[in-house]
Amino acid sequence: MRISHQWLKELIDFKLTPEKLADEVSMLGLEIASYEDLSRKYEKFVVGEVLERAKHPNADRLTLCKVNVGKETLDIVCGAPNVDAGQKVAIALVGATIPHNQHDPDGRPFVLERAKIRGVESNGMICSAHELGIGSDADGILVLDGKAKVGTPLAKHLGQTDIVYEIEITANRGDWQSHFGVAREIGALLGKKMRKPAAKLRENKVTAASFAKVKILDTKKCPRYSARVLQNVKVAQSPQWLQDRLTAVGLRPINNVVDVTNYVMYETGQPLHAFDYEKIAGHAIVVRTAKDGEKFVTLDGKERTLRSDILMICDAEKPVGIGGVMGGANSEVSDSTTSILLESAYFDPASVRKTSKYLGLSTDASRRFERSTDIEGTVYALDRVSQLLQEMAGAEVLKGSIDIYPKKQKKTTINLRASRVNQILGTNLTKTQVKSYLERLELVCRAAATDALKVSVPSYRADLLEEIDLVEEVARMYGYNNIETKTRASIQFSTQTVVKSLQDELRSYCVGAGFNEILANSLLDAKTTEIAGEGAVKILNPVSVDMAYLRTSLIPGALHIVRRNQFQGQKQLRLFEIGDVFALANREKPNSFESYSQEERVLLLLAGQHSPVSYGVSTRPFDYLDVKGEVQALLSKFSLDKWSFISYDTHKALSEHNVTIEINGTYAGYFGKVKSSVSEKFEIEGDVYIAELNTAVLHAQRVNSTKYRQLPKFPKVVRDLAFIVDSRLPQEKVEKAIRESGGTMLETLRLFDVYTGQPLGSGQKSLAYALEFQPSDRTLTVKEIDGIITSIVAHVQRTCGATLRASS
Amino acid sequence: MLEKIAHIKQEFSSDLAQANDAQALENLRIKYLARKGSIAALFYELKSVSPEEKPALGKALNELRTFAQSAYDDAKLKLEQSSDSTELPFDVTLPGRPVSVGTKHPITQTIEEIVRIFKGMGFTVATGPEVETDYYNFGALNFPPDHPARDMQDTFFIAKDILLRTHTSPVQIRYMEQHKPPVRVVIPGRVYRNEAVSARSHVLFHQVEGLYVDEGVTMGDLKGTLVAFVKQFYGSSVKYKFRPTFFPFTEPSADMYISCFICNGKGCSMCKYAGWLEILGSGMVHPHLYENVGYDTEKYTGFAFGMGVERIAILRHGIDDIRLFTENDLRFLKQF
Repeated sequence: MRISHQWLKELIDFKLTPEKLADEVSMLGLEIASYEDLSRKYEKFVVGEVLERAKHPNADRLTLCKVNVGKETLDIVCGAPNVDAGQKVAIALVGATIPHNQHDPDGRPFVLERAKIRGVESNGMICSAHELGIGSDADGILVLDGKAKVGTPLAKHLGQTDIVYEIEITANRGDWQSHFGVAREIGALLGKKMRKPAAKLRENKVTAASFAKVKILDTKKCPRYSARVLQNVKVAQSPQWLQDRLTAVGLRPINNVVDVTNYVMYETGQPLHAFDYEKIAGHAIVVRTAKDGEKFVTLDGKERTLRSDILMICDAEKPVGIGGVMGGANSEVSDSTTSILLESAYFDPASVRKTSKYLGLSTDASRRFERSTDIEGTVYALDRVSQLLQEMAGAEVLKGSIDIYPKKQKKTTINLRASRVNQILGTNLTKTQVKSYLERLELVCRAAATDALKVSVPSYRADLLEEIDLVEEVARMYGYNNIETKTRASIQFSTQTVVKSLQDELRSYCVGAGFNEILANSLLDAKTTEIAGEGAVKILNPVSVDMAYLRTSLIPGALHIVRRNQFQGQKQLRLFEIGDVFALANREKPNSFESYSQEERVLLLLAGQHSPVSYGVSTRPFDYLDVKGEVQALLSKFSLDKWSFISYDTHKALSEHNVTIEINGTYAGYFGKVKSSVSEKFEIEGDVYIAELNTAVLHAQRVNSTKYRQLPKFPKVVRDLAFIVDSRLPQEKVEKAIRESGGTMLETLRLFDVYTGQPLGSGQKSLAYALEFQPSDRTLTVKEIDGIITSIVAHVQRTCGATLRASS
Repeated sequence: MLEKIAHIKQEFSSDLAQANDAQALENLRIKYLARKGSIAALFYELKSVSPEEKPALGKALNELRTFAQSAYDDAKLKLEQSSDSTELPFDVTLPGRPVSVGTKHPITQTIEEIVRIFKGMGFTVATGPEVETDYYNFGALNFPPDHPARDMQDTFFIAKDILLRTHTSPVQIRYMEQHKPPVRVVIPGRVYRNEAVSARSHVLFHQVEGLYVDEGVTMGDLKGTLVAFVKQFYGSSVKYKFRPTFFPFTEPSADMYISCFICNGKGCSMCKYAGWLEILGSGMVHPHLYENVGYDTEKYTGFAFGMGVERIAILRHGIDDIRLFTENDLRFLKQF
C-alpha cells in the first residue's frame, strides 16, 4: 500500500527524513519497503515561455520556437498544431527522461537528446500531457496556467513534490491500511498525538431518515450500517490537489464523488460507497444474504454468480452491491447523478474474506474489511465525506445519519501484569514503565491489582484482545533490540532420535560409495504417476498439470533427472535419494488423515557407464550385477547378514528382473532393471538399474551393537569345485546345496566362473566355486577335507542333477 | 652320467634366471642348446654308455633338452613382449584412474550444518508428516479459519481438511503433544506452497524449525540462542537486528536480520541495497499453542524459529535460480 508524505504531515508533525522515517517505522514492525520522491520523475523539466513561433524551413507541419526557460532561451522544434507565442509550456531539457513516448506502441520512456530535426537543431522538447504521464491528451502540447513562473521546476508547478512510501502490512494490522494508522504509529514513535481532521458540515433541516430506510437482516455479517443522503451534488472532476493525492497513492481519479470516498478510505481506513440515490428502488437499503446461483453485475462490468453465504446490499427490489467487496453497476454514480446515498458499514472480516476468495475478487474495500475496520469509525467517515463533498461539489447534506447498530460492541479491556511482561521478555520493567509504553499507543491504562494494569483498547485496534497482545506492544515500544541477549543457558542433555541418525548414516554411506545425492520434486504429472502405478495422492488445486500428484515411488522423479542429465551429456550416473513417498491407502475414506500412507525410502540408481572414460580404464555399461552388488554392500553395512533376496520376479510397473529384499523376514524393498518401454517413455538412453528400500525397515531391523568374534588361530583351507548343471538352473540352488552340506567350517563360498560352450554340450553350464573352510579348534587334515568335499559333491549331484567337472 | 644331467639342468636354470636381456639369453642358447652346446655334448657322450643304461639315460637327456628348449623359448617370448613397453619411458604425468566421488545435495549440506549447530546447543531432531491436517498446519497454530494470515501461505489441498504442510511448524504441536517440557528440538523438513514456479520461488522447499519450551525461557534466550547460531553459521563478526513482525503462532514475533555478508552492509542486489538480509522468523510461543497441547500457560514460556533452507543456500553460494535445486544437474551437484 502507498502512503503520502504530505498527507501524513497534515496529521502529525515530524521532522524525520524519508530514509530515517522508513528505518524507524520499519523497526516498529510497520515495514516501509521503499519510498519514491515523485519530483524525480520531472528532473530536467521546467516551465518555459514561447517567445517566437516560426515555420520550419524544411517541413510544413513543424514549427521552430524560441523558448525562454529562465536562465536561457532555447531553439526547439515542435510538431504540435496548438503551439503559439506567449504560451507557458512544459519544457523537457536535454537529458530529461520523457515518461511516455508517443511514438512507441508500448509508450516506453526515453531519454531526450539534442537532435537535428529536418536539418534544424532542437535543444529540448515542448511536452503534451500524455508525454508527461499526467493525462491522455496527446494531440497537442500542454498549455500551462499563464501565471506559471518561467524557470520553475515543472514538478513544483504541477504539485508533484510528494514522497510516497510503499508499506507492507502484516495480517493482524488492518488499522495500518490508512494514513491515520501510519500517522498514529509515527506518533507512538515520537510520543505525539495524531491530529484527527474535524469533519465540520452544515446539515439541512430535512432529516435523512425521511428520505431513506436501512434494514439489516443479517447482523452477524453486518453488525453496523451507517448511511447519509446528499442532494444537489454536482458531479465533476476533482480539484487538482485531490487528484494529485489519489495519483500519488496509486488511484485513478474518476469524479469528485468517487474520489472523495476513496480519499476518506485512504485517510481513515473506512471503505465507503456512494449509490445513486435515484437508482435505489424504494429508497431503501436491505442488508441480506444472496440466493444460491443468483447473478449480479459488479461495477467492473463482470457478471458474478452468488452463493447463499454472500452478504448483499439490496434495495427494495434487487441487489445493488456485494457487501464489503464491490458495488453494483446498476446503482453507480454517473455524471447525471444529483443525489447520493453514502454507505459506511462494518462487515464481519471472515465473511468478507470468504466472499472475496470465492469470487476471486480482492478490492481496496475487501482488503480492509477482512483485516477488520474500526466499528466505531463509520459515522466519522460519513461526516468526513459529506464535509468534503459539501466543499467541492456543493452538496446539501440531509440532517443526521441513518445508523443501524443493533448491538454496540463492548470496549475491550485487558488486564496486564508487569510480571507477565518480564516473564516473557526477560526484562525488569516496572508497572510505570509498562504504562508509559502503552500510553504512547493511545491505550488508556488504569491501575488494577498491585502488579496489574487495566488497559482499555481503542476500537481501531481490533488486533488487541488479550494479555499477550499487550506484551508484544510493550516489546515493540521498548525496542526488540534493547532486550538483553542472554548468552548463558542451563544445560539440558538431549536424547537423540535415532531414525534421523540412520538417515544421516545412510546418506554418508551412499556418498562414500560414490553416489551423488539428488532431491527430486515430490510432485509429478498425471502421465508419470500413471506409469508408476495406482494409489497416488491427487492435489485438488495444483499449480500446474506437471505437479498434480504426490510421488508413490522415488523412481519416476529420478528418471526425469536421468533424462535431464543425459540431455546435458552427463552419461555416468550413480544417484541416490532419501525422501518420502505417499499413497492413499484407504480409498474409502479420503477425508481421513489415517488413510494416507507416508514412508521414507532410499533409492539407488545406476545408469550409463560403470566408470568414467579415461586412459588406463576399460569401462563398460552398468549391469544388473552392479546394482545387486550395491544392495548387498548396503545391506551388509546396515543389517549385517540378516537379509535375504527373494528371487522370483514380482511384477512392478517400472522395472523387471525384480528381486525382493527381506530383512529378518520383513519386506524392505526391491531392486531391478527399469523396463525398456519405461525408459523410452522417459526418453532415456541405455539401461537403468534401481533399488528402492524402506528406511524404517532398515532402521527397525538394523544390528546396532556388533559383537566381536575372535580372529581364527588355525589356517584355512581353500578348495575349488566345478559342477555341470542344466543351464536353466539358477546358481543359487547349487550354492544352497553346497552350504547345506558344507558343515559349519565352510565359511565363504564364492562363484568365480560360469562357463557354457561346446565341450559341455548344449543346455549345460559349468559353475565353478571357491570354498574356504575355517576350523576353529584344530588344523584340518587332508582326509577330513576330502571327506567334506565328497559329501558336498554327492549332495549337489543328488539335489541339483549336477555332475562334477573338476575338483582341486 | 645322470648326475651330470641333473647338474646341467640346475646350472641351466640358474643361468636362465639371470638372463635378463637379449644378449644374455643368446649366450645361454649358445652355451646349452647350440650344436656345440653342453646338451649336444651330452648326447655325444650317450653314444659311449652301456646298452643297459642307454634307455634310461636317453629319456632323461631328452627331457632335459625339451625342458631347456621350452624354458628358453618362453623366456625369449617374454623378453620380446616386455621390450615393446619398456621402450616407452615411465611417464608420471599420465592421468590417474578416475574414482567416482559422491556428493551430498547442497540443501542437505545446509540442513546438516544448521542442525549440527543446534545439536551443539542441546537441541534434538524431530520430524513429521508432509501430508498434514488443517488442524496441525493451521488451527492448532492459532490461525483462525478465514483469517488473512492464511493468505501468507498458499496451500495445496488434498481433501477436506487434509493438505500438504506449508511449514514445518505443525511438528511443534505434534512434538509437544507427545512430550512434556522441557522441550528443545530442531525440525528439518520439506514444505509446499501453492505459488508459481520462478527463479525466485518454488512450490516446494525446505525449512528448519526450532522450538524451546521450559520454565523461565524468555525473549532474551530467544535472542541469545539465535545470535549464537548466526555467529557460528555466518561468522563471529556478523551484525544482527530483530524487527517486530506477525506470525499467528508466536507473540511477540520477530524477524531476524544479519548484515549482508555479500557486500558487508554496503548495499548490493542480494540485500536489495539495504545492507541487511532477513534470514529467519522467530517469536515467543503463543499461549494458545500451550492450551492446545495441554501445557500450563502460566508456568511455561518458550520460543520458536524457522528458516528457509533454500534461501540460506542461495545467499551462501550465490545461486541465481532456485529451480537448480530440484533439477539436479550433475554439473550443479558436483560443485558442492
